[in-house]
Amino acid sequence: MKLKTFRGGIHPPYSKEDTAHKAVEVMPIPTEVVVPLLQHVGAPNEPTVGVGDQVEAGQKIGESESFISAPVHASVSGTVKAIEERTNFAGKSVNSLIIAAQADQPTKWTESKDTSSLDPDEIKDIAKDAGLVGLGGAAFPTHVKLSPPSDKPIDTVIINGCECEPYLTCDHRLMLEKAEELVGGLQLMMRAVGATKGVVGIEANKMDAVDKLGELLSSREGMEVLPLEVKYPQGNEKMLIEAVNGRRVPPGKLPSEVGALVQNTGTAVALYEAAATGKPLIERVLTVTGPGIREPKNLLVRVGTSIGDLIEQCGGFAGTPGKVIMGGPMTGFAQKDLSTPVIKGTSGVVVFTLEAVEGDEERQCVGCDKCVEACPMFLMPNMIVKHVKRGQYDMADFYGARDCFECGCCSFVCPSRIPHVAYVRIAKAEIAAAKKK
Amino acid sequence: MAHYELRVTAPPHLKGKEEVSHAMRDVLIALVPVMAVSIVFFRLYAVVNLATGAITAVLCELIMRRIMGKKATLGDCSAMVTGLLVALLIPPTVPFYYVMIGTVIAVAIVKELMGGLGYNLFNPALLGFVSTLFLSRLWNPISYNLGGISGVTAATPLTFVRPTVLSGVRPGYWDLFLANAGGALGEVSVLAILVGAAYLLYKGHITWHIPVSIIGTVFILTAIVGENPLYMIMAGGLMLGSFFMATDWVTSPDTKKAQIVYGILIGVLIVLIPLFASITGAVAYSILIGNAFTPLLNRLFVKKKFGEVKSAA
Repeated sequence: MKLKTFRGGIHPPYSKEDTAHKAVEVMPIPTEVVVPLLQHVGAPNEPTVGVGDQVEAGQKIGESESFISAPVHASVSGTVKAIEERTNFAGKSVNSLIIAAQADQPTKWTESKDTSSLDPDEIKDIAKDAGLVGLGGAAFPTHVKLSPPSDKPIDTVIINGCECEPYLTCDHRLMLEKAEELVGGLQLMMRAVGATKGVVGIEANKMDAVDKLGELLSSREGMEVLPLEVKYPQGNEKMLIEAVNGRRVPPGKLPSEVGALVQNTGTAVALYEAAATGKPLIERVLTVTGPGIREPKNLLVRVGTSIGDLIEQCGGFAGTPGKVIMGGPMTGFAQKDLSTPVIKGTSGVVVFTLEAVEGDEERQCVGCDKCVEACPMFLMPNMIVKHVKRGQYDMADFYGARDCFECGCCSFVCPSRIPHVAYVRIAKAEIAAAKKK
Repeated sequence: MAHYELRVTAPPHLKGKEEVSHAMRDVLIALVPVMAVSIVFFRLYAVVNLATGAITAVLCELIMRRIMGKKATLGDCSAMVTGLLVALLIPPTVPFYYVMIGTVIAVAIVKELMGGLGYNLFNPALLGFVSTLFLSRLWNPISYNLGGISGVTAATPLTFVRPTVLSGVRPGYWDLFLANAGGALGEVSVLAILVGAAYLLYKGHITWHIPVSIIGTVFILTAIVGENPLYMIMAGGLMLGSFFMATDWVTSPDTKKAQIVYGILIGVLIVLIPLFASITGAVAYSILIGNAFTPLLNRLFVKKKFGEVKSAA
């Protein structure tokens, strides 16, 4: 059988074997966490506690009046040491709470209650109160996604189990270890938006997860698992919707335009846990891996844990590190130092050694068109770069700069090692600035 | 933890193994069959011209980049490809210094003075070649008289498309396809060109769009103007031009639609030019004119973006 997929894309080396078969390990509570007040796409939160306050794990510590926002919770019990600007994963300064963890941490959220009687509004409230955001990396507030415009009914909820980013295996492990919770989360999401169909899309390099979920879903009405071709970026929302039901989201529009809602595996599990036990989003599973890590692992980690702590938990560096990436190697952010805290959207830490990142100087485009062929959005990355170099941002937009979701396929295939995504970001910033004038 | 010098760059942090030099090496490999057949037929004439092209190109690039204070880029092999193509475009009876002049113009002016590989608007080998056509008119009009040395070379069979041009023995289709001793080095065997082209297609360095639309257009138009279409596509430099030159990455358009239009444009020119001017260099001139249209075609034939619906208006 030919597996479903999208047009374009690439086949990078997946390199998942180091952690794919390792069960999730619970990381000990660090002595200190740094919890940024903005961890999502949307309005920032204001702190609801002060310096010196005693906080309990799961207690709300930051809130916003704005609808497109998600509250943050204390990820450990302890004392608020400071509220100050800290550098986040993207190199920006974000107001953050620094909490010193106390020695004894309470065990909470062990009692599970039935979720079958919850109505759509209750489910959305639970998502908002628990501070849920998309755990795949984009970190869009979940309750907002669960509230599409009333004139755009959702018929299909898709759980994104593709995990197309090389190296990362946290979603894979979640699907194996928290399959029941995942199905519960999918059910809640379908009820919240009134969808009749629920699909878990999984790349065919995780057949054990396909089998496991297939077994659970076989008896359920309207829910199924769909194995997909292994191709990057299959896990992008638009690519996934096309593969699942053949619909293409128009440029600049949201998935609700074609009646679809896509949520990450981790988000579905977190929604179920929030609904069943009341547990807010204070921890997540992520993968710490790469050739620069001595002992790669999947870890269950409290939000606010520094990446330095994660790396220590994994036996430290193997060799001299050259690049420490938060997120996957295709779209993740390279870090300047190891103090950056894990946030809700952090799917992994990938470390490359110094030797692996040397060289690779950018050269002139030779017009091979490989980027044009690889682009899953059917844009012309070569032309975008050419016009950004000339300062012609309107032309960069003509060739699709604003439609680019920065998957990096173009740079991956480029024989001249052109960092197209960096140029696209310049174009997007310039176009936005021009619009403001 | 100790302090580390960490690199911070924009994603993606994974890069493929694709290199310009790999592609150029594959082009060199793809040229082996046609070079081999030309050497079998023309012996020393072919060896001298091919070697002249290759050596001149390499030296020229080295010297130019040294003068301009740039890093040497010989490793990408593109200079050698250019030199060999110039040699293949020229008949073996033409003295080697024409190959040298054509190569110098191609590499030094058309490529390096424009900024190097990737900056050139025109195909260096073709512009180098047509420069020698001009020069030959200035001081040695007979060297391109395609008569050739008796027993070694013959006139380009393309001239037989119009029987009024030359009288002589017209090579048969099988001779054209397998091997014949007429015209330029690169016209020696259609089969040899196709073998090399198949390799480039297999390796994914070129696609069918440009060559098929050129050759198809030439075939159809030739039939329409009442000449022999099969002869037209097999004789002369059409095969070499279509597969090895019109497909040049740098100077051809970037979307499939634009490439097909580009191929059709070149095909039309190849048939029209000889109707009004000399048949010599018609393929070369046509591709060069096509090169000039590349930026416009890239602008006109943009791919429809993912999910984009053309408005009915």
